[in-house]
Amino acid sequence: MAQQKVRRSGLTMPIVTPRFVDQAWRRGCDFVTLDLEDSVPQDRKAYARTLVKESIPKVTRAGTEAFVRINHEHLEADTEAAVWPGLTRIKYPKTETADEVRALDALITRYEKERGIPPGTVEIDAGIETALGVTNVYDIAAASPRLREFGATNGGYDMSRDLGVEMFVPYDQFVYLRGEAELATRALGLGVRAAPFIANTSGSVSDGSRALRLAEAARACGLRVGGGGLNPAVVESHNVGYTPSADDVRDAHWVLEQFERVQAGSEPWLEVEGRVIDRYEAERARGTLQWAESCAARNREKAEAVARVRVQIEQMQAQQ
Amino acid sequence: MSNKQQRSWLVVSMSNADALAQAVQSGADVVVLDLVEFVRDNQKPAAREKIRAAIDSVCAAGKQVFAQIDPQNHEADLSACAWPGLSGVVVSRAEVASQIEKICKYLFLWEKERGLSAGSTGMVLALETARGNQDAYEVATASKRVCALTLGRADLAMDLRPEPSGEIHLMPYLMERLVIIARAIGVTPLGAWWRAPDRGLLATAENTLHAATRGRAVGFKGSLCLRADQIEPLNKIYA
Repeated sequence: MAQQKVRRSGLTMPIVTPRFVDQAWRRGCDFVTLDLEDSVPQDRKAYARTLVKESIPKVTRAGTEAFVRINHEHLEADTEAAVWPGLTRIKYPKTETADEVRALDALITRYEKERGIPPGTVEIDAGIETALGVTNVYDIAAASPRLREFGATNGGYDMSRDLGVEMFVPYDQFVYLRGEAELATRALGLGVRAAPFIANTSGSVSDGSRALRLAEAARACGLRVGGGGLNPAVVESHNVGYTPSADDVRDAHWVLEQFERVQAGSEPWLEVEGRVIDRYEAERARGTLQWAESCAARNREKAEAVARVRVQIEQMQAQQ
Repeated sequence: MSNKQQRSWLVVSMSNADALAQAVQSGADVVVLDLVEFVRDNQKPAAREKIRAAIDSVCAAGKQVFAQIDPQNHEADLSACAWPGLSGVVVSRAEVASQIEKICKYLFLWEKERGLSAGSTGMVLALETARGNQDAYEVATASKRVCALTLGRADLAMDLRPEPSGEIHLMPYLMERLVIIARAIGVTPLGAWWRAPDRGLLATAENTLHAATRGRAVGFKGSLCLRADQIEPLNKIYA
């Protein structure tokens, strides 16, 4: 797998609400998803499309990536409206077949070419939200090299509706569908978007401490793709929760030191302080250190970009 | 062979003489002589040289013997272990049908050369990678020798770690999927419902008892293990 992009936190926002879009760069997200779908009323869909090109530079000005969520039923018009320089991913909701993914890929390819975007820049995020999508999940995940991260973190509202499954129950009601999606993802070597099961019986989307608990549990599971928030309150929780802590980093160094002893000896593993130290633990530890470095680099990149924007704003204000 | 049951499969490193001696004395139904997971690369030639004698001593103790082989080194591993007394091979990280076909073909060659009846050597597939699990049905039907499927150390090979619930991430799905595929093909599903802090087939006797109890309930018929004290709970539950 190529070096994984750092995508811990992301907000989805209606593109037709200027105060969200204009302030998005201040939120500290790794990415923002500009929504043309569920949060935009039918009678404003056409207007919404006219906003994408100018909104992308607004949200990316401080180092945040810009994604666009299109409408399944307006594939052509939405894709034409969305593929502009600065865009790095299109979220395609309710994907049901590999052919649909290939159709989107062809459209993106065309607009990348026409609009001077390096080929292959724009990724596809195929959302699995229906029973048919689950049935075809491997073929969907394999349908285009633009799919670089994949998964079904939870069933979501649409999935619950399509399957007739309740959303907020105290047990994992989606073992099979999440397993199908994750196995396909891993078999194809894509970035795994998954989450450990923690029951949500409240339905809250703005609970920062729950978001932190979830992100930390995901990190402990070795899972790294986060985001998907609706409320700015969860962004920092995701950034912190998915980033290795100082303890994680110390522990990783300790494991690698112990592993040197394993390598110097004749046994393939050692038990130290009740823990098995072997090549698997060493591999995890190296992964943790590498991920910690990637997160630190991403944090620096965003902080520098925010500082640059603030200077620009001050200069503009001074001129007025 | 005095004992046809296959409740407990003790995996023992071919570079650990003490562990081998212990395995011979143990109550394991099957001893798996490992040439892959627990043998350092530089010790592999020495381990291969010892395996023929090890097969004899495990057989003499009335147990079945399998050898765990590496599909990347299958020629050397098979030539070392395909001797009278060997019941079969455990194919580590099985993931492609062509791999299984190749191993099957090699086994025919050695069976002929060494006076074993053709096709008598069985194959247990350890589906330890995502690709192996994704294509499990196709891989497991690639040879009639396949007699059992297991996830082996998939939690380590795929880097699956404990969730807050105590389940190991993705494992509930993988375990149920493996049972269904094994039953569909008519081979034995081997495994146990390992939970945190169990790791790579390693667990206390008590946790092994729990894992086997739930494992049996979801359809497993015996399990691999790494330590002698795991044998008794496996024999008890998978009886």
